[in-house]
Amino acid sequence: MNEYLTGKFRPTERRYIFLAALVLLPVFFFPVLHIWEMRMWAPQYREGLTLRIYTNEIRGDVDKINTLNHYVGMKALRNEDFREFRFLPQALTGFGVLALLAGLFNRRWLAVLGWLAFTAFAVVMFKDYATWLYKYGHELDPRAAIKLEAFTPPFIGYNRMANFKVLSMPGPGTVLLGIAWLLGPLTVWFERRAARSAGRSSRRQ
Amino acid sequence: MKQRWKLALAVASILAATAGCMAANRGGGASGDAARRTYVKPGEHDAYYAFLSGGHHGNVYVYGMPSCRHITTIPVFTPEPAVGYGYDEESKAMLGGRTWGDAHHPGLSETDGNYDGRWLFINDMVSARIARIDLGDFKTKQIYGPIPNLSAAHACPFPTPNTEYVFAASRFSVPVPNRPARVQDYGKDFRGIIAGIKVDPKDGTMSMGFEILMPPFDWDLADAGKGPSHGWAFFTCYNSEMAYDSLEIKASQNEMDFFAAVDWRAAQKAVDEGKATTINGAPVLDPAKVPGIVYLVPVPKSPHGVDVNPTGEYVCCSGKLQAEVSVYSFAKMMKAIEKKEFDGERMGVPVLEFDDCLEAKVPVGLGPLHTQFDDKGNAYTSLFLDSQIAKWKVGPPWDVTDKIDVYYSIGHLMASEGDTRNPTGEYVVALDKLSKDRYLSVGPTHPEAAQLIDLRGPKMELLYDFPTYLEPHYAQMIRAEKLKPFTIYPLEKNSHPDAIKRAEDARIERKGNRVDVYMLAVRTHFTPDIVVANEGDDVYFHVTNLEQDDDIAHGFGILWSNCNMQVEPGETKTMHWKAEKPGIVPFYCSNFCSALHQEMQGLIEVRPRGSSIASVQRPDPAKTAQIAAELGRK
Repeated sequence: MNEYLTGKFRPTERRYIFLAALVLLPVFFFPVLHIWEMRMWAPQYREGLTLRIYTNEIRGDVDKINTLNHYVGMKALRNEDFREFRFLPQALTGFGVLALLAGLFNRRWLAVLGWLAFTAFAVVMFKDYATWLYKYGHELDPRAAIKLEAFTPPFIGYNRMANFKVLSMPGPGTVLLGIAWLLGPLTVWFERRAARSAGRSSRRQ
Repeated sequence: MKQRWKLALAVASILAATAGCMAANRGGGASGDAARRTYVKPGEHDAYYAFLSGGHHGNVYVYGMPSCRHITTIPVFTPEPAVGYGYDEESKAMLGGRTWGDAHHPGLSETDGNYDGRWLFINDMVSARIARIDLGDFKTKQIYGPIPNLSAAHACPFPTPNTEYVFAASRFSVPVPNRPARVQDYGKDFRGIIAGIKVDPKDGTMSMGFEILMPPFDWDLADAGKGPSHGWAFFTCYNSEMAYDSLEIKASQNEMDFFAAVDWRAAQKAVDEGKATTINGAPVLDPAKVPGIVYLVPVPKSPHGVDVNPTGEYVCCSGKLQAEVSVYSFAKMMKAIEKKEFDGERMGVPVLEFDDCLEAKVPVGLGPLHTQFDDKGNAYTSLFLDSQIAKWKVGPPWDVTDKIDVYYSIGHLMASEGDTRNPTGEYVVALDKLSKDRYLSVGPTHPEAAQLIDLRGPKMELLYDFPTYLEPHYAQMIRAEKLKPFTIYPLEKNSHPDAIKRAEDARIERKGNRVDVYMLAVRTHFTPDIVVANEGDDVYFHVTNLEQDDDIAHGFGILWSNCNMQVEPGETKTMHWKAEKPGIVPFYCSNFCSALHQEMQGLIEVRPRGSSIASVQRPDPAKTAQIAAELGRK
């Protein structure tokens, strides 16, 4: 194990590490891809209302949704309420830099450390997102015109809230983050496969 | 067995076809599949917008074609309480105290001779005004006029190919400048006016361009040249006899009246060179002193419509009392002008020889009025007396190829983009002056009738007819995809001086007897919703609709008053209300907005004259904070 961590990558696997860094770029450095999306439909919004969460802000029909949410006493969505937006891009930048360094200096331990930290971070963020969803659905103003039972908007998948059908799903940003994450175990797998076939061929000789 | 089925089907379809023909013979029914050709499924959109003038309604009516569905009414010269047009302070100022207009000729703005979908102009004949409607929000944005010196702007507002100008001409000549005169001195003291109203290419703002002093004939209709005739505009007239009474008899004596050909670029140049005299603020050119700007061309028998064909080579004039359309060649006219071969002059305006300019006479039928065009080189002329439309070939042998009955007494007709350089040739709408027995009777006042006719086949075919409001004159039809109306006013672009965009800015300010209420409207409350005023106060409600969602307009109506208006998403409007006597006066949202629409209301507390009231009233800060939190906007 120790031996593995102090070792170096072969050129092929080294490329995967660079790729992981590259793939993260559009999610944090130029937040052009959203990480989560919520779509809502109601009889008078057959075309649907959309919320897109980026690493630095929420975009889409925010004002329209806020105006509608006030009927049930849900808090308005405001970018400044999410301190996550202030560290999420930076944190992802950090992971990208880690991957880059691991590739540049070709150090396995650095890559493994980065991947483990990234995994832990992802788990924390998913938990954080779930907490927000719970809070928005449960901290309803008791004076609201329409009294709803406390609810939790869906993390992934469909749900019904009053006259709205809600679909929540990860965006392309999350898919890219997932790919970057998968590149970790993949690299290990490729290395092991290469090592095995090398072992076989040396034995044959 | 199969054979027998086929036979039965064949018999059935023959019967159906015969029944269809029989219906058609029984007074203008449409053919069997006409319904399918006009049917637009619920939720689907029409291919065309049609803008019908509202006559002495002073409005514009918008229809979808080919379904012929009435989509909306645009108030232009007439107040419309539903939306507050003529009730809020801005539109009241635009109407200038007048409450009716006689709207005749909608004119879509053009680029390169084709509709560009930016603006719609329409005249008010009676007060010589022109309105511009922005097709971004279908709202009247400017009313220009009364145009000085102009009396009854009938030949108006016909735009030039790049909307450089919209034209207007006097139908009723009067002394210029207007002054006490004897009607017996008509030929001496009276003058007609042709006016070119300049249009700002960026925002469409109209301003005075030039006026030309014309003989006191009755100037009737107009059309601008295009292609080779670009730079010219043509105006027909009747009453070249210069009768001032009993026109019915006296104005139909001459064999020939005229159309005037105006070189508008030369006219503008003459004004720029200072050759005009200012009369009532308008630069007026006298053709006797400034030659080369206008010529008269003889037209037989009281002409009415003048229409330039899509290539711009021919000018088609219809003599109302003649069974022919007289077609003039623009090239021949130019040649005659070049050679200076004139047949005398009328009050300084040279008259060209009829035979030098005429290209053809097309025997269309009785009472020809207006001509429109298709994309295959055909013209369509409305026949008032015959109640028909005649289709004819523009070019040799100048034949009439088809006719269709209309119900009844057609005035204008409108082909799809039929006065542009590229008509689409799909439909023509007949605008009939009488409807008689076409609809369920509603007593002596019959609606007007409009009829949709298909031009795509070899023969014209009646598809549908529908009643319209009294009394549309002309219409224009534009392909729907050329218009891109917006659905909200972006709040961040709202630059109204009295707009408020944050809950914290809602307030009431007093200065003497003037009270300004800065109010916001959002689903589903007004803030402030309690207003304290004194008896005798002039209260100005500045209502800003903070919504940014499609179709969420709020109304603002005050009980026992004439005050009502609609404020659209992101818009600010101001309404004046006088606190006449002490008491409580409720106000409410008059335009259904949401499930809690009924709760969207408030109270004005009017105290006895001279009560002391704080100079600034603000709503409860807790409430303001609550609204701010709900909106999520800062």
